[in-house]
Amino acid sequence: MLRRSTFSLLLIISLGHVLVISAQVQSKSGLPVIQSVAFGVFSRFQQMTTGVADGVRSGWAKYFALRGVERDNEQLRKRVTELEAQLQQEQAQAAKARGLEEALNLQRSLPAPTLAARVIAGNPQPGSLEVMIDRGSADGVKADMAVVGSRGVIGRVIGPLSPHAARVQLIVGLNAAAGATLEKSGVGGVVSGGAKDPPLRLEYIPNLVDVQPGERVLTSGQDGIYPSGFVIGIVEKSEKGRNGQRDISVRPAVDVSHLEVVLVILGAPAKAAGSRPS
Amino acid sequence: MKITAVIAVVLLAVTLQVALARYMIGGRFMFDLVLVGVVFAALQWGPVAGMLAGTIGGLLQDALAGGIIGVGGLAKTIVGYFTGQIGTQFVLTRPRARILPLAVASIVHRLLMLSVTGLIDQRWPNISWPAMLGETGVNAVCGLIAFLAAEALPDAISRGRMSRRSSLSRRQW
Repeated sequence: MLRRSTFSLLLIISLGHVLVISAQVQSKSGLPVIQSVAFGVFSRFQQMTTGVADGVRSGWAKYFALRGVERDNEQLRKRVTELEAQLQQEQAQAAKARGLEEALNLQRSLPAPTLAARVIAGNPQPGSLEVMIDRGSADGVKADMAVVGSRGVIGRVIGPLSPHAARVQLIVGLNAAAGATLEKSGVGGVVSGGAKDPPLRLEYIPNLVDVQPGERVLTSGQDGIYPSGFVIGIVEKSEKGRNGQRDISVRPAVDVSHLEVVLVILGAPAKAAGSRPS
Repeated sequence: MKITAVIAVVLLAVTLQVALARYMIGGRFMFDLVLVGVVFAALQWGPVAGMLAGTIGGLLQDALAGGIIGVGGLAKTIVGYFTGQIGTQFVLTRPRARILPLAVASIVHRLLMLSVTGLIDQRWPNISWPAMLGETGVNAVCGLIAFLAAEALPDAISRGRMSRRSSLSRRQW
């Protein structure tokens, strides 16, 4: 009797799940309320647990090993990440300015403001290439903002956003892509994630273009998300392919398995890359 | 069955999964600690507990993952129920004996997830057997650690109480 009623309960719960799934698959507008609420609440909770874990870890490290040095080191690392990203941005801006100087008589573009954020969690679904950062809509973060590290592009912010947390889709993810150019030839293509090893592919590059392993792949800025000039990765393999296009494998510049501090580029990409100073 | 204990196990599993998920990005193996928690609850407290743990854990995981809510919930509810049924049919008191149901549950859960996703997308997804077996192995190791810890915890607590009592009685003498 009890077993039968338990099985009935299973059927009812399963039916409930199917109804929930059906409702979401049919509706195409907006996010489910339960999703944004759960994300918002849990991000707070996760920040707290991360804070406690970090507190214990840093307390231990400071007391028993390197009193005070850990804190300085963390600050310096954050600063170095900021400065390296800034330097990269400056270099990109400078390179752009050099070309524009000749054509448009010194048209400098303003660097976009950035916001440092800590990676506080990953996506609980196994195999999902997303991370959660401790900055959200209250800090000015919006969906589709680019996220970079000291070595290059990491990914972009995706919804739903909570006031103090946001989800970042990594560039190596299955559905991730970015407009790209080859550093030497300047030929443009699209870098997409989801490949096995290396996880990035550069597509739409004609067979006629000479692409050698070791060449850097940069953002083109034409996708409206990533500002131009940031390093996406390095060409690892380049072979002539079918349909007149090369098969190019790209190793990402950033090791996404060890993300600690990232930078969110707050300005609109088009503005940051090529706006005129007023 | 203790509802609070089931909820506590599930919340602990989800928290650990979210906290550790960032370290498995780019790694060769995946793991699903929420599933380990569900199987633990099912074997410890029976099919209703497994079902409850599966529903709560799966829905929470779905909501945090950003995908379609209910897919993981459905898979984990079914797995939790049947694992609980197996737990009541066989004597699975030793931690090592619980590894086999956990391994089977891992594979069934992944296949259920793929099936539901395939039905939604209207196309059968590619199954990566090495990845699935890798996940099963890591889940089994995590489960063994959790089962051993759960077995050792009551003994450790009672030993602590006993030592406190004996020290008190010595003081009286």
